[in-house]
Amino acid sequence: MDKIKPIILKGTREYLPEEMAKRNLVMAKICKVFERFGYDSIETPIINPTQTILGKYGEEGDKLTYNFKDNGNRDICLPYDLTVPFARLVAANWPQLPMPFKRYQIQKVWRADKPQKGRQREFYQCDIDIIGSKSLLCEAEVAKVINSLFSELGFEKFVIKLNSRRLLNDIMNKFEIKDAKASIQIIDKLSKVGKKVVIEMLVKIGVEKAEELMSLLEPEATNKKTFEKFDDFDTSELEEFFDLCENLKIPSERLQFDPSLARGLDYYTGISFEVFSEEAPFGALCAGGRYDDLCSMFCNKDFSGVGVAFGFARIMLGLESMGKLNNVKLSSKVLVTIFDDKSINDSLSVYNDLIESGVNSEMYFEAAKLAKQFKYADKKNIPFVIIIGDEEKAKDEVTIKNMVSGKQKTIARKQLCSYLNNYTNV
Amino acid sequence: MFRIAIQSKGRLCEPSLKFLRSSGFQFEFNNELILKCKNADLEIIFVRNGDIPIYLEQAVADFGIVGKNVLYEGNYSLSVLKELDFGICSLVIAAPEGKEDLDGERIATSYPNSLKKYLVKKKINASIIKIDGSVEVSPRLGLADAICDITQSGKTLEENRLKILDKILDSNAVLVGKSKSDWDKLIKSL
Repeated sequence: MDKIKPIILKGTREYLPEEMAKRNLVMAKICKVFERFGYDSIETPIINPTQTILGKYGEEGDKLTYNFKDNGNRDICLPYDLTVPFARLVAANWPQLPMPFKRYQIQKVWRADKPQKGRQREFYQCDIDIIGSKSLLCEAEVAKVINSLFSELGFEKFVIKLNSRRLLNDIMNKFEIKDAKASIQIIDKLSKVGKKVVIEMLVKIGVEKAEELMSLLEPEATNKKTFEKFDDFDTSELEEFFDLCENLKIPSERLQFDPSLARGLDYYTGISFEVFSEEAPFGALCAGGRYDDLCSMFCNKDFSGVGVAFGFARIMLGLESMGKLNNVKLSSKVLVTIFDDKSINDSLSVYNDLIESGVNSEMYFEAAKLAKQFKYADKKNIPFVIIIGDEEKAKDEVTIKNMVSGKQKTIARKQLCSYLNNYTNV
Repeated sequence: MFRIAIQSKGRLCEPSLKFLRSSGFQFEFNNELILKCKNADLEIIFVRNGDIPIYLEQAVADFGIVGKNVLYEGNYSLSVLKELDFGICSLVIAAPEGKEDLDGERIATSYPNSLKKYLVKKKINASIIKIDGSVEVSPRLGLADAICDITQSGKTLEENRLKILDKILDSNAVLVGKSKSDWDKLIKSL
């Protein structure tokens, strides 16, 4: 019989232990930052009634959702992002939730997009949202979370670009642009297609002063200079936001007022964010902003909120290329070998001491030749191997073989756990 | 009112009191842990050496007299207002004759953070055994292969047949505090 080919779908990925160790480490760091700011986690279903997901992302977004019929002929849709499932959860549960409600959510989402570097069809998003407050303090807190997260992960050259949808709408009015929504979606493509193409596209949909518009939207060398270009507009919201960020000690060079930042999604209403870094040049590493009526699709209640999604795959690529994940170890720190059949109980006893004292350890499962046991440790990058031979047994000692340096050291058996627990790892 | 924290017991206690007297402060030492100056708005508080930076960081004391080695061990970033000429010592790595390579060895110390910083800087992997005193006998007793400890003359090390392999830090007592101008004001008021 022909064997089934062990393939996976295009745009999906699987991860072996070395890679998972790195992913888990970064994921844990991300959760730690979220939790430090008081965000709690939630989870929402992967399979959803189609109407929950569709119709929220504009025509282009909707096309990228995964839709199918289940065995009961029901229309099912996979999440395109975590914001809409979150809005649904709030609409269904708001009477029990503390308001404002802050949550983080780390789950897979699916997009039937063309796979590219840093963008698979199935990928993780890491979201935070604050819902139920219109205060600008929410935006400032989100900016602080972004700054802490990227700094603590080891990014040094990231910039949080931000703009105000309100300001962008005012500009559209001033330029007497009829189809503001379509124009904003075109402007959103600026970083992908360039200024020239954007101008051509705007002209095509009837924007008369497209060139003038695009030069107004271009950010200047400093935020102050960019603000000066908008003297005729109300920029008080953005200015207040910058003041709050200063009080939260977000370094000013991290924040860039970029009037061309458009965020193509329909639901943004106030300040929006996108994070870029030279260290990970694969598009935005994080994006989001203020929305006002996301839940109104699901209930009669209005909840204003702010949220951003962190792109886990792109963050990982950035950290990998900066070499920040080169020393991530697999679980085992120690392999307890079995010298011969009659020493199994001694090995078990040492192994048990190690486990009980919190040292990540494993034991070899048979009294094979020591060389074979060392080889196993080597393949798993286990840094220490413990040997309890006849001599060690007689003196109540153990020999520690350092697999990195090749050195061996014999110490009292009772000192082993302390030795390993206090070992520096440089 | 200002407060200065100084060592309650140990080698810095006497010289610290002497320094305060020679600076013009008058007080009568009576074995209490809090002492009021007669001629200045200053309280002298007597605390454990390693705790002095904590009293300053938590804004309970304004000044302190402490060894640089204590600041280094605790990673404290307090401003040094004055270098003092006592409490002179070094933090060193020492081992029995013949032991030169520290890689993979057990090193006993009362200064685990300073030792760790040193090992990281030198890219040496070793096991740190934290003990609170009599560090110099630990190699002889089989607890450690080397030590990291404070030495003044090197005599104790010699007596225990230990050879200095490297120096981590030169230390002396320092006057620390949040404001140099406050200290100057206090001295002027005398």
